[in-house]
Amino acid sequence: MSAVFLILRAGPLDPVAAILGQKQDPVMAHQIRLQLGIIRPDGSPVPLWEQYLEFMHGLITLNFGQSWVISRGTPVMDLIVARAPVTIWLGFWSVMIALLIGIPLGFYAGLNPNTSSDYLASFGGIVWRAMPNFWLAIILSSVLVSSQFFTESLFGVALSWREWLWDTGVIGGPPLDNLADPEQLFAAIKWIMPAAIVLGSSSMGNEMRIGRTAVLETINSNYVETARAKGLSGRIIVWKHVFRNALIPLVPIISGEAFLLVGGSVLVELVFGINGLGKLTFDAINSADLTMAGGILFIFAVFLQVMNIIQDFLYTLIDPRIGYEQS
Amino acid sequence: MSETVTQTKSFGERILEQPGPALVWVLGLLILGALEMGAIAEVTVAIVSALASAFASLGTAVLGGPVLPSISGSIAGGLESAATVAAGLPDLVSRSVIPNQGYQTPDGVWHGTFLGLEPKYAWLLRVALVYGYMFVFLWWLWRGYRTYVANYRTADWTPRDDMVRRLRSHSWGKFGMVVVICFVGMAMFAPTVSPSTGDQNMYNMNAHDIQYFDEETGSVEEISVLQANFQSASQGSGSQNVGLWQYDEFNRFHPFGTLTSPGQDLFTFMAYGARISLLVGVVAISIALVLAAGLGMITAYYKGLADLTVVFVSDTIQSLPSLLVLMLASMVFSHHWLGKIYNGGLLLAVMFGIVYFPNMWRSIRGPALQVAEEEWVDAAKSYGQRSSTTMRKHMLPYILGYLLIYGSMSIGGVIIGTAGLTFLGFGINPPVPEWGRAISMGQAYVTTPAWHISLLPGLLIVVVVTGFNALGDGIRDAMDPESEGEDTSAGVGATGGGA
Repeated sequence: MSAVFLILRAGPLDPVAAILGQKQDPVMAHQIRLQLGIIRPDGSPVPLWEQYLEFMHGLITLNFGQSWVISRGTPVMDLIVARAPVTIWLGFWSVMIALLIGIPLGFYAGLNPNTSSDYLASFGGIVWRAMPNFWLAIILSSVLVSSQFFTESLFGVALSWREWLWDTGVIGGPPLDNLADPEQLFAAIKWIMPAAIVLGSSSMGNEMRIGRTAVLETINSNYVETARAKGLSGRIIVWKHVFRNALIPLVPIISGEAFLLVGGSVLVELVFGINGLGKLTFDAINSADLTMAGGILFIFAVFLQVMNIIQDFLYTLIDPRIGYEQS
Repeated sequence: MSETVTQTKSFGERILEQPGPALVWVLGLLILGALEMGAIAEVTVAIVSALASAFASLGTAVLGGPVLPSISGSIAGGLESAATVAAGLPDLVSRSVIPNQGYQTPDGVWHGTFLGLEPKYAWLLRVALVYGYMFVFLWWLWRGYRTYVANYRTADWTPRDDMVRRLRSHSWGKFGMVVVICFVGMAMFAPTVSPSTGDQNMYNMNAHDIQYFDEETGSVEEISVLQANFQSASQGSGSQNVGLWQYDEFNRFHPFGTLTSPGQDLFTFMAYGARISLLVGVVAISIALVLAAGLGMITAYYKGLADLTVVFVSDTIQSLPSLLVLMLASMVFSHHWLGKIYNGGLLLAVMFGIVYFPNMWRSIRGPALQVAEEEWVDAAKSYGQRSSTTMRKHMLPYILGYLLIYGSMSIGGVIIGTAGLTFLGFGINPPVPEWGRAISMGQAYVTTPAWHISLLPGLLIVVVVTGFNALGDGIRDAMDPESEGEDTSAGVGATGGGA
């Protein structure tokens, strides 16, 4: 975070110019500098280390100050809290998509190695992983927006994604205030699904590949052979011996998804027009709203650290051999 | 490093003893070089003049005034004449041999193109020639290596032979290699493979005129490229679209169609975009590799405090979401001189290098620690060898292979990341072409007849990144047969769409 502070405050960017825009009124500029805490009331500049201490104090107490440009005067924390739910919803479903599709496919490929479906899954995973997700987002959103034309020309039935099952939009984020109502819940899930698929795509490919090799490795291990010799049924072997052990190398991939999600949410939210944290980050950086950008970066960094801790917990949960004392 | 232990003959003596194969090979190389004489000379002159101007400006800066105007002036003059000489030399793989820009008169005859061919075929011929030349050249280099192995190497077998053999039988890796070679070729020969030149198509559209046959006036007219591009832009509707494999109304051929306003040729845009993608990727990965290798060896050799410091630094870098930091950095430096070099390319490369190195360092740390424990390192130490020499001579060769693998696997991530940042409007600034910008230009046209604008650059990124990953897989399997298909050892080495 100190690095972020340095970039923000000591870098060659002038926030006052960003706020004032074209017209440079010296009186206004003075007021703004005063408000930002860059200068003292008598006009002398505040030394950098004092700014730094104040900045760090603000971070620890979750008080990031006020937004400079995007929405002047609103505390950064309020904006983050207002925008966060959609992003959390998106992130949650993209993780679920990756888990529910990537891992089963990978395990299936690993259990049936060197069959044509294995090759299809592996190849698909490799190519899927190499796709830039902003590009995938553009293609998917455009296709879905005019889905009735595509389905009509391909299958002869005009099927609009917008109206299919639940009436939702393609672009934009779903309203999340009434999730207790099943109708609303499913509509919200459907609404977020395209963005979640795109966001989860790269980690899905990773999980598939690693799931496949992990299963292959455990299947060829001695204890699986022992279990087979003991006369256990294939189903029990797979669920009790293979599945659990194959999950271990997947743990860092799953928690590593957090990194992909944070970066990817900016691109995906921008393309899908979802008004979440990613969009807020983009706006903040684009309009040089430095308190805003610093605050969001801090929140993201904390989130990533929490994910790392969760990863360690998951390890101990899945693999009892990894004790907490040893690490 | 000489492998001669039993024999004391030097490499030169071995060649003198049996000069036949070596002569044949050198002769072939000379012929291939002669075909490309012009290009080689031009590149050399360009590099020399760039260095000279850099030195001249440095000299001016250091000495505080125009001390050497006459000398630098005469140097510049000499270089200019050298450049004209170089341009006059024969050059098989150049635009001027097979021109593809011309106009068609109503009788169906093409003027200005190669042998009066249709621009389409002239362009295809040129591309085929470029790639043919490149592959022949690479094949010849490969043959040179085989000749050396067969005739001049004293050792019958080295471990590298096994690596080469494994790589040769690794079809996935070979696929990756071909893709990477095609991509590098596209970037290297961008002015030649593209239907239009970069200067004409992107940087100085107004300074160039093209001839075309106007049906209304019935004569050959001239129009500036800028005007022509505006009129042949792809706007999505049926009448205003130049799609794949089509001619525009000025008889210009567009293999990938045109962009939106102003309608530059998409293929030219992408060929030049490949240059910057490759440049940013290679520079970034080199920075990351040098940092990772240097720090990896230092931490493995000294351990203790050095190790701890690097762990701290890399943890700090890794705890930040890289894409956001990159966005922030390119925004903050956008008006700074650092952000101006190559329209942000250098800044991006440096930032990517810094962001990518912790991961690589972590991957290299294990092998480096392992080799630092080896007896030969201990022996070198007790022999009184300097620590830097020990690291370079006894540790570096061991980790070099890992570096190659991670480098190849991470470059895809840099390419995607650069495209993503440019897509967002950070990253590379116009007019330097970048694939991400083409994607963002075509964003609104995906379901219209102008779908090519977004789709093709994206597909190309997918293919190139897959190619680099496949090459990395191939190299890994070739170096370490035990890791066959084992992804976990590469860790998070392979990078992808997450940008």
